[in-house]
Amino acid sequence: MGKKISAAAQQKAAEELAKAISSIDGVSAELDSRSSGTQVRHTVSATSTPDSWRVLAETLAADHGVDYCSMITGIHWPEAADKTWEVVYHLMRTGVTDPAAIEGVVQPNITDSDALTGADVPMEIQISISLPDTREPMVASVQDIWVGADWNEKETWDLVGIDFEGHEGMRRVLNPHETPVGYHPLQKQHKLRYHGFEEMYDDAQGFMRKPADAGKIK
Amino acid sequence: MSDEPPNFSVFNSRILVDTVGDVTDEALKASRMKEVIGVLGGRLFNWGQRKSLFPLHLGIKCCALEMAAAGASRFDAERFGVFFRSSPRQCDVLLVNGPVSKKFADPIVRLWEQMPEPKWCIAMGECAISGGPYFQSYNILEGVDTVIPVDVYIPGCPPRPEALIDGFGKLREKIIRIGGVPSEVRPMSEAPLIVGDE
Amino acid sequence: MGPQHPMTHGLWTLKIKVDGETVVDTEPDLGYIHRGVEKICEARDFTQITTYCDRLCYASANTWSHSYIYAAEDLLGVEVPERAEYIRLIAVELQRIASHLMWLGAYGPDIGNLSIMVWCLREREMMMDLLQELGGSRMHYNFPRIGGVKRDLPHGFSQRAQAKLKLFLNRIQEYEALFDESTVFLVRSQGVGYAKPEEMINHGVSGPNVRAAGVDYDVRWAHPYSVYSELDWQPSVERSSIKGADCYDRYRVRVEEMRMSASMVLQALDKIPGGSETYHEPGDPKIIAKAPSRAPEGTYGSHHFEDSRGESMFYLAGGGEGRGKMPYRVSIRSPMFITIPYAAKCMIGYKVADIPAIMGSFDPCIGETDR
Repeated sequence: MGKKISAAAQQKAAEELAKAISSIDGVSAELDSRSSGTQVRHTVSATSTPDSWRVLAETLAADHGVDYCSMITGIHWPEAADKTWEVVYHLMRTGVTDPAAIEGVVQPNITDSDALTGADVPMEIQISISLPDTREPMVASVQDIWVGADWNEKETWDLVGIDFEGHEGMRRVLNPHETPVGYHPLQKQHKLRYHGFEEMYDDAQGFMRKPADAGKIK
Repeated sequence: MSDEPPNFSVFNSRILVDTVGDVTDEALKASRMKEVIGVLGGRLFNWGQRKSLFPLHLGIKCCALEMAAAGASRFDAERFGVFFRSSPRQCDVLLVNGPVSKKFADPIVRLWEQMPEPKWCIAMGECAISGGPYFQSYNILEGVDTVIPVDVYIPGCPPRPEALIDGFGKLREKIIRIGGVPSEVRPMSEAPLIVGDE
Repeated sequence: MGPQHPMTHGLWTLKIKVDGETVVDTEPDLGYIHRGVEKICEARDFTQITTYCDRLCYASANTWSHSYIYAAEDLLGVEVPERAEYIRLIAVELQRIASHLMWLGAYGPDIGNLSIMVWCLREREMMMDLLQELGGSRMHYNFPRIGGVKRDLPHGFSQRAQAKLKLFLNRIQEYEALFDESTVFLVRSQGVGYAKPEEMINHGVSGPNVRAAGVDYDVRWAHPYSVYSELDWQPSVERSSIKGADCYDRYRVRVEEMRMSASMVLQALDKIPGGSETYHEPGDPKIIAKAPSRAPEGTYGSHHFEDSRGESMFYLAGGGEGRGKMPYRVSIRSPMFITIPYAAKCMIGYKVADIPAIMGSFDPCIGETDR
């Protein structure tokens, strides 16, 4: 029917990849089967120390064909026991090769999904790096390996405050440029406006939100 | 500049225009014609604006798609005289259709100031009225009326295109009710209207 | 090209450095509608977050709320009944058609062709009628629920959908005729805005933009989810030139995708288990499964999804307020956040007049970019 990567091929490829990168010092990877509606998908989930991240990234790009960095999530855990900052990298391997060109016209590359094996199988890889309590959390930047990490790193710094060593051109991308230095909204000490405000019960008409309108009838 | 006075007199058209304007202004004020012209001109502009409101081509967020749908085939807004213009200098109505973030507060006030009088503002959608679902956000103002005076509020998330056309209708009624040109200070008789609030 | 500009398809600034008429350097400036959705969602229940996800990319609301729901089901460990998956597929593919129609309706005026806008919006009204029957509102439906869907297919939906989609498949030929026979469109879009596949993949550009360059990557087959494998479909890939994909290729990919989505919906209406005429009440276990409402600390859920503009992804970390009733962190991957800087780079070397053509062909939607 419609084309699809077989789950068995994906599982095998995930196990191979997990085993291969676990051999790097400081990295531990495993097969992670996650549910997806009616199906199960097999991904690789790894943890790494900040020092071995750069080596791991280069190995993944060079030897295992990881194509792009999909997203970088920064999390602030002020109350967790073992970590204060966590950076999760979501990397993707597309499993398609660049299309061939015949006489200057590119032939669309229709991948035969049943024939993909090994390092060609599309794979989701998630790498989590935990950082201890520090005022300046920092992780090595992978801007030069995957260009897609560039803006993701800017966003992570802008919102969460995790700095990336070796990143060129760090600037605010989502918050206004005049935001005070050191203000990173997604850190847990910053609370939302009306935090803890039970709107439905305390102020059904919404008057208290704008005191200037308190006298008017809505 | 040099200290000695210029030994030529410059014919400067700017000075001529200013002088003529000042003299005419005094004459008109003295003969009470200025008020008459002001009132008649206000009535003329008001009559002209009723059926041809030109909103600005500003699409902030989701309500902009409903604004586009209101201008498209099924709910044709152009038959009501509503024609979107790209430059704020040519518009009457600022249709705010999305949340105003702190970064956008300055540009939207600048757009409002660039629009020539008489001008109106319609806050479309919950985000423009009071911050909408993002009222708790660190980056969103609680309603565009914190920075701009609003004339008509159209609730909905997003309001249907019919509601937007009804909002233009309510604005027309308000323009007819005012009768002249709105002054800088908006008195209580020009209180904002809320669509659906009969 | 400042925030208020008719051709930027959203609220952002593109700073351009020009040398005469040629673009030398570009720099996008985003964040004008940054609403802090990721922070707000930390104070909302899992079911309440769906309403925020609809509003992320408003042109393509269903794909984003489904993208979140799959990630939430991954976090809470819920298995979805098959009928619900079919209904979700119908909703997502109809939304994909509506999103591409909105794009085509906005792209025509960029090039100078104003009549396509009213034609495409007329068809989009048809799709929105179908989606309104399913979801209840014109734009933000809040349609999927954790474990299934909100409502079953209404009575007679199948006939109406088939009639409308058959009419739509005829109308697509009109659009193609309008564009392919227009010299102005061909001159302004062919040979403009070349984007090489290797660069695009390294950047993380995905979806129709990369399929226009001959690369056959689609999350629906590569990281399979939902019941796409039960239907007979192929990702729409275009034959581009060796210099990369130009604007014309990206336009053709989306037209082919619209056809493919229409055929997928027609197939799904035939193949849905239980038939398309049976109606289950909301809450029936055939269309929604019971889901836990708490996610303890230490758990996480993530899901990649094929949005109309590329690969979108949600990462949810459990263990937030309310003893796990709210997520600790919601992280949203927007394909446009990566594509807009890349599209800005693509413009270098072309004329100022090509900027709207190139920018429009990448289909920017700033709602998801700014979150």
